[in-house]
Amino acid sequence: MQLSVERVSKQYRGNLWALRDFSLELRPGVLGLLGPNGAGKTTLMSVLSTITRATSGRVLWNDIDLAQNPNAIRSVLGYLPQDFGVYPNLNAVEFLEYLAAAKGLDAPTSRKRIDELLNLVNLNDVRKRLLGGFSGGMKQRVGIAQALLNDPQLLIVDEPTAGLDPEERVRFRNLLSELSGEHVVILSTHIVSDVEATATDIALISAGTLVAHATPEELLRQVEGKVWEDVVPSSEMQAIKQRYLISGTARRSDGVHVRILAPSAPNGAQPLVPTLEDAYLYCLNAHRAGAAA
Amino acid sequence: MNRTRLLYHLVRADFLERVRRYNFLVTLAFAVYLGYCCVTGKVVIRLDQYRGVYNSAWVGCLMALVATMFLSLIGFYIVKNTIQRDQETRVGQILATTPITKSFYTVAKMISNFAVLAAMVAVMAIAAVIMQWLKAEDPHLHLWQLLSPFLIFALPAVAFTAGLAVLFENIPGLRGGAGNVIYFFVWTALLAVPAATLDKGGKVSEATYFRDFSGIVSVMSQMQQDLRSIDPTYKNDAALTIGDTATSKRFLWSGLHPTPALYWSRVTCVLAAIALALLAALFFHRFDPAREWRLKKAPTQNPAASNLEGPALPAQTAGHLTPVQHTATASSLLRLVLAELKLMLKGHRWWWYAGAGIIFIASLASPFDAARGGVALAALIWPVLVWSQMGTREARFNTASLLFSAEHSIHRQLPALWIAGVVVTAATNSGLAIRLLIAGDHQGLLSWIACTLFVPSLALALGLWSGTSRFFEAVYTAWWYIGPAHHTPGLDFLGTTAQSARPETYLLLTAGLVVAAYLGRRAKLAYA
Repeated sequence: MQLSVERVSKQYRGNLWALRDFSLELRPGVLGLLGPNGAGKTTLMSVLSTITRATSGRVLWNDIDLAQNPNAIRSVLGYLPQDFGVYPNLNAVEFLEYLAAAKGLDAPTSRKRIDELLNLVNLNDVRKRLLGGFSGGMKQRVGIAQALLNDPQLLIVDEPTAGLDPEERVRFRNLLSELSGEHVVILSTHIVSDVEATATDIALISAGTLVAHATPEELLRQVEGKVWEDVVPSSEMQAIKQRYLISGTARRSDGVHVRILAPSAPNGAQPLVPTLEDAYLYCLNAHRAGAAA
Repeated sequence: MNRTRLLYHLVRADFLERVRRYNFLVTLAFAVYLGYCCVTGKVVIRLDQYRGVYNSAWVGCLMALVATMFLSLIGFYIVKNTIQRDQETRVGQILATTPITKSFYTVAKMISNFAVLAAMVAVMAIAAVIMQWLKAEDPHLHLWQLLSPFLIFALPAVAFTAGLAVLFENIPGLRGGAGNVIYFFVWTALLAVPAATLDKGGKVSEATYFRDFSGIVSVMSQMQQDLRSIDPTYKNDAALTIGDTATSKRFLWSGLHPTPALYWSRVTCVLAAIALALLAALFFHRFDPAREWRLKKAPTQNPAASNLEGPALPAQTAGHLTPVQHTATASSLLRLVLAELKLMLKGHRWWWYAGAGIIFIASLASPFDAARGGVALAALIWPVLVWSQMGTREARFNTASLLFSAEHSIHRQLPALWIAGVVVTAATNSGLAIRLLIAGDHQGLLSWIACTLFVPSLALALGLWSGTSRFFEAVYTAWWYIGPAHHTPGLDFLGTTAQSARPETYLLLTAGLVVAAYLGRRAKLAYA
């Protein structure tokens, strides 16, 4: 099981490049795709899920070119788009039955899968309720269920935890972790904690290019010894922000506790254990500085 | 911000949002085409064997009336989505939290509708100048004579249409497809009532001006009067006709004789448009989700309860999921057809099913002529809102990315959708088929088959290419009215009479539409 993205570029009208020479090699596991808004994450998801065609480059699923045979990937694909709708006059079971038929599943299997998936996403008690009456979080869970209908080998989920309450978010993270052993999972998000909890690999994307592709441990190693905490009065915050890259602040009775990313310790600052969010900010900042230079 | 400035920005934003869409270019192209039809003589004002010399007065009036006629119909369908767009884009919810009043909002929407239609009128006005120059029957260009009919007739008429569109969008029951169908008949009635005066041949009273929203009767009655003074043998026949109409005689028309009553009637038309927008404010839901929900479909439970999250029960793990074999089978295609049928037929009000049942019974129980006439016509208009969803549902409900990432979606979901459409058509019109079978009317049965295949194919092709259900609703209703309802040869797709039936033509057309539908879907997909 292998997904290869080879020098994929995508250009929209108006000479706008959403992806440029993007390459990636994926095997079973969860890839956390992290990047700021407009970085090209959703475009990459759309290309991989055969919704849109790359301007150049190739995507290979087990060495089969997606452009030559898109159905090779579609037959094993589960896709949860960032923005999707449901048919309001169908209930959850009917909607999933419809999509199961569209995906070519036979009737007995789809009935079983739908029952199990509704249980999995905690919608069993509302299975007969019309989707028009569902809240955003419940619709999102229907979306998760439909993505898993065909037991996908390749699962692409774009901002899957948007609209989920904390309990459901944890449940979904656990589900992704469970799937990671035998599936290629691509989790696109800008919520670093989702990636922290589930990803076996992380790809950082910015301005349509790949900034880094590494394990979480490797990324964390990059910022080891570069994260500091300083306590400053509120009046000095503006000056600190101008001098250093800040990854967090917290107001306390003794002043503002500032989380600083810097190669060496600012005066009086104490070292901290880096988090993935620190690594994310550090890498992006370094990439932007490199690009500007 | 003062109210004028606020109104300006509301109208401007809405106008720009619309004119920067691809659809607007298509509608402008339509306006250009109308102009072309006039230039090439495909649309003329005919008075018996006469038409006017193409001077500024005649050309201006002809083009203004053409603009009025078509934009008051097509324009309605073009602009009747402005509030819906605010709802879909969620901009409406933001606006609802501002101090803008309901009446201010609906009037602003009416004005932005008017601005869009006025842009199309402007295109027609430019075409009028070009037309006079190309025709070269009178080299003298009198700008006021040429352009004043657009100001006096076309603009007030499109303003009235803009107001009606806002009203229809706000009244429950008229905002959807039913409103689109009903508007066609409203439009026909609005034109027909004053036009009856023309047929009588006498002088049109000034009171008629006030009933004549389009201005067609007001203009043509003056043309009739002037022709009558030149040729006393003129028989009062007058029409704005489409097609290659031969007019062997010419007369020089010096132009309109506007009276205060005529001007006032046009001012009244504009005031009526504003009144319609203000009336619409009474029905406007101000993007209140509770009211929107209530107005859409009858919920099966309390809408407040629908916002509750699902119960927090211990859920299964992924390890318990049944494995799947990836095989697309013939039975899954059948299930897809059934699922498409369910999608088409679910969610209608009880009276829709009752109506379909009554039509079916009537087609079996009524005399044969009635079953093939009025009852069959009813069976062909009743499911119009079911057909109009074909090809547009995925865009409307934003499910395209879910469906089109499925294996072989174009070769499975599209045929399933088409088959489901044919099944619905056959089912709702099955009473007639039974009667034709019993009567042994094989030609009639062939026409029935052609019709059953043609209607869903038309719906699917138009839906896929236009991306909106309104296009089919407008085109089909007009076609149904002109064709089967009036037994017009060539346009009667049901074959209501032996003379008007053309089953072979419609079978061929069906094949073309199916190909068009395939290409329409294919164009939307990155891969087949």
